[in-house]
Amino acid sequence: MRVALAEDGALFREGLLMLLRAAGHQVVCSAAGGDELVALLATAPADVAILDIRMPPEPDGGLITAERLRAAHPDLGLLFLSHYAESHYLMRILEIGTESIGYRLKEKVGSVEVLTDTLNRIGNGEIVIEPVLAKRLVERTRGDKKDVVSALSDREQEVLRLMAEGRSNNGIAGQLYITPKAVEKHVANIFVKLGLHTDTAAHHRRVLAVLTYLRSQRNES
Amino acid sequence: MDESVAGMCRRKHQDQWLRRRLLQRQLHDGAALRISALTLRLGLLQHHAAPTEHALQDYIGELQDELHAVLEELRDVAAKIYPPLLDEAGLGPALRELAAELRVPVAIVTCDDRFGPAAEGAAYFAVMRCFAARPAEPKPAKVVVRRENDALMLSIVGVGAAHAELVDDEAKPLGGTVEVEPETPLGASTIIARIPCE
Repeated sequence: MRVALAEDGALFREGLLMLLRAAGHQVVCSAAGGDELVALLATAPADVAILDIRMPPEPDGGLITAERLRAAHPDLGLLFLSHYAESHYLMRILEIGTESIGYRLKEKVGSVEVLTDTLNRIGNGEIVIEPVLAKRLVERTRGDKKDVVSALSDREQEVLRLMAEGRSNNGIAGQLYITPKAVEKHVANIFVKLGLHTDTAAHHRRVLAVLTYLRSQRNES
Repeated sequence: MDESVAGMCRRKHQDQWLRRRLLQRQLHDGAALRISALTLRLGLLQHHAAPTEHALQDYIGELQDELHAVLEELRDVAAKIYPPLLDEAGLGPALRELAAELRVPVAIVTCDDRFGPAAEGAAYFAVMRCFAARPAEPKPAKVVVRRENDALMLSIVGVGAAHAELVDDEAKPLGGTVEVEPETPLGASTIIARIPCE
């Protein structure tokens, strides 16, 4: 895969470059800030851009850069890396786009398998959400929703968590060592129990429905 | 207190908030980034190790998990010094995250205005201490943050007037004041703090 990279911490940037190359990816350009990356990508096509959230232009250059890149190259996948997995940033990222987009913790992409899986999923149009954050969202539901979520079976809770990570049915099946058909059944049951009505076949709409459900009590104002 | 002495005291406390924010940023840009970079180098080592060396492969994976745990602890410390989300995104997002973390049913009403690191830090930790001191089965509360000229106005509704002292501890060193509106048949008691800000 052709990858572009922007990260202001030299140590992390160099480490990621080496790991990307070891994984067989082609790094078409790397930069220490967003503006530089936008300029480089004007002449060097890439499949996915990896962006640090907290980099120049300050304070959250990764988000501003992503907006510019989405406008200039709509097919370019975007992977945000951050030291923090915050639902606040997740929501801002999903405002930039809900396809071919990902958000992961910096220390959680440190293996060839995980890095490649993350990039491939983004390349395939999926939303990729840091499992640490997805787990926290599932565990932190409150009030009525907490009762609904804790009434799900253990297996259904696992499936819900993997849906919140942005996994497809095949992806969930692979993680849980069950058939896609079985996943479909669990997903249908979960949607009935949560009272969600949505076209579960459309990947990004399903992820958004699940995330909105898990988060909706946190925005009362 | 003499006017100039009060001013000096206020500036000293403002500086302390700036120092806390600086320490938090130093943790992020220094130790945390180094440890994250280390997980990448371990990943490279894992990639170069022979695929048949299962024990070694697993061991490297365990080391990476351990580094994640170290970073989680550093994040915990950073949040206690000066919450990064407060620094980057302001009181609204930071207080919502706090309410979710402490599982407090609370409505947070804020504006997009920024008030400077001292006033924001004081308001955040005042609310946190009130939440932490609440009973196990709390009634729904409401927190409102708005600007009134050169002051941050913080209202905390429904946490009990007894917590006003906790808010005062944070507001007073910055030259702020705290008032309490007692509970009435029409509404819960409200703590209102006025904190000078940027």
